[in-house]
Amino acid sequence: MSAAVVSADDDVFEPTLQSILDQKTLRWIFVGGKGGVGKTTTSCSLAIQLAKVRRSVLLISTDPAHNLSDAFSQKFGKEARLVDGFTNLSAMEIDPNGSIQDLLAGQGEDADAMGGMGGMMQDLAFAIPGIDEAMSFAEVLKQVKSLSYEVIIFDTAPTGHTLRFLQFPSVLEKALAKVSQLSNQYGPLLNGFLGSQGQLPNGQNLNEMMEKLEGLRQTISEVNAQFKDENLTTFVCVCIAEFLSLYETERMIQELGGYGIDTHCIVVNQLLFPRLESNCDQCNARRKMQKKYLDQIEELYDEFNVVRMPLLTEEVRGKERLENFSDMLIHPYTPPE
Amino acid sequence: MPSLLLVVLLVEVAVHLVNTIGAATINNMLWNIYLALPTEVSKQATEKNRLQKEYLAIRRDLNATSSQDQFAKWAKLRRQHDKQLEQLENMKASHDASKAKFDRAAGIIRWSATSGVKFILPWIYGKEPIFWLPSGWFPYYVEWILSFPRAPLGSISIVSWQTACGAAVLLFSDAIKAILARALGTKSAQKPPVTSVAGEKEPGPAPSSAATSKKNS
Repeated sequence: MSAAVVSADDDVFEPTLQSILDQKTLRWIFVGGKGGVGKTTTSCSLAIQLAKVRRSVLLISTDPAHNLSDAFSQKFGKEARLVDGFTNLSAMEIDPNGSIQDLLAGQGEDADAMGGMGGMMQDLAFAIPGIDEAMSFAEVLKQVKSLSYEVIIFDTAPTGHTLRFLQFPSVLEKALAKVSQLSNQYGPLLNGFLGSQGQLPNGQNLNEMMEKLEGLRQTISEVNAQFKDENLTTFVCVCIAEFLSLYETERMIQELGGYGIDTHCIVVNQLLFPRLESNCDQCNARRKMQKKYLDQIEELYDEFNVVRMPLLTEEVRGKERLENFSDMLIHPYTPPE
Repeated sequence: MPSLLLVVLLVEVAVHLVNTIGAATINNMLWNIYLALPTEVSKQATEKNRLQKEYLAIRRDLNATSSQDQFAKWAKLRRQHDKQLEQLENMKASHDASKAKFDRAAGIIRWSATSGVKFILPWIYGKEPIFWLPSGWFPYYVEWILSFPRAPLGSISIVSWQTACGAAVLLFSDAIKAILARALGTKSAQKPPVTSVAGEKEPGPAPSSAATSKKNS
């Protein structure tokens, strides 16, 4: 603990998210962390702050347990919808465990009836791990690309999911590259089987399908390139001052580094600031523990904007409370003495 | 060129040595010698060893550091640890690749210097007599076998000579082993036979009775 007393006074990295607001090139912002640390609250707050300085902001929740509706007390769905009380902030919720069934069903109605090939395609689709989520992700990205939002905030699922989610573009790109190559190699052979039109038994067209896949691949590789561009994409880690959360955050930051995704902001949530004369034993003990981990965070992430957010006595729900809370992302909270 | 007689004997001895010591052992020996030379590969190897030492030190530190009490220190060590592990794995892969290449080259050279020569010589010198038998000492069929396959009748063919040398080498090595075993105590006398690389097997002991019978002539 000897080196833990590094002073942060003359630190060039401010303890706010101002840098994100200032970075006008940003297009994708991910907010992620362990479950229950306040990702949704943070992403909503960040969205509110961004809405003040950008033309249009979209907030997307990819968490299967959708909390956006809860946070804003307003129902959101698969389509982007304006948040009440804002003119340039929209939100949508997508289900990453999405509906590949829908996708397949849309292509061939009677997939069971024709047996053979259609069943095989389904098996294939389910055999690639994460393909369903990746598909819905790709769908969303396609949608989002066509809409002209200046900045898009992803409220991601808890850590494990997040990393897989971010990995998808790479995974899918590899898988699709393989499929394309195979189809190029064996296309003529297959066409020999299927006749000159390349008609599959379930009424699909082989060439058409391959073209579709190729299109999907291109979209994804484009998005992938964008995610790896630190001018366009950043990742905001949310954690609480506890060992496991810190551990997960460190792991996540390392993995993000591995994927080449930029991250330079950490939000430390749910900090306790009991009054000096407070005689709440639990609060004081917890404060002490949080202090310890805060020191560790300070030492370890000296090149990050570490934002400290207090634990409030009320639930942060509804527009006004979120706005008040979001203000603390930009103007550091000063605990009452 | 030294006499064919001697060359064949030496080749037999070499083949037998390789089979007893084992191809892998010999390759490892050569590899170690190769590493001792100032080559690119040996530089890599020393680098790898250094890195491995560092890695182990960091690992020890990491294990000695409590992640709960000194998270920052622990995490920094962990980062180093992961980075070095990755580096080390890369290095190991390239090291293994160059070793495999070396093994292959060494194997080819070793094989052609021993078994290869052993197979080639009878081809080239098949028709030449190694030496002549005194005429009339042996019946026709013995002479026929000894000159098998292509040497003139009444001489020892190279194949017969090889077989004889092989048998003699085997006898000698058995004798030496037995003496050593007795000298060093009775243990380790019964060693399992060394697995030989394919193609380095001794030829079958087909005319061995004939060979041993005339060894001392």
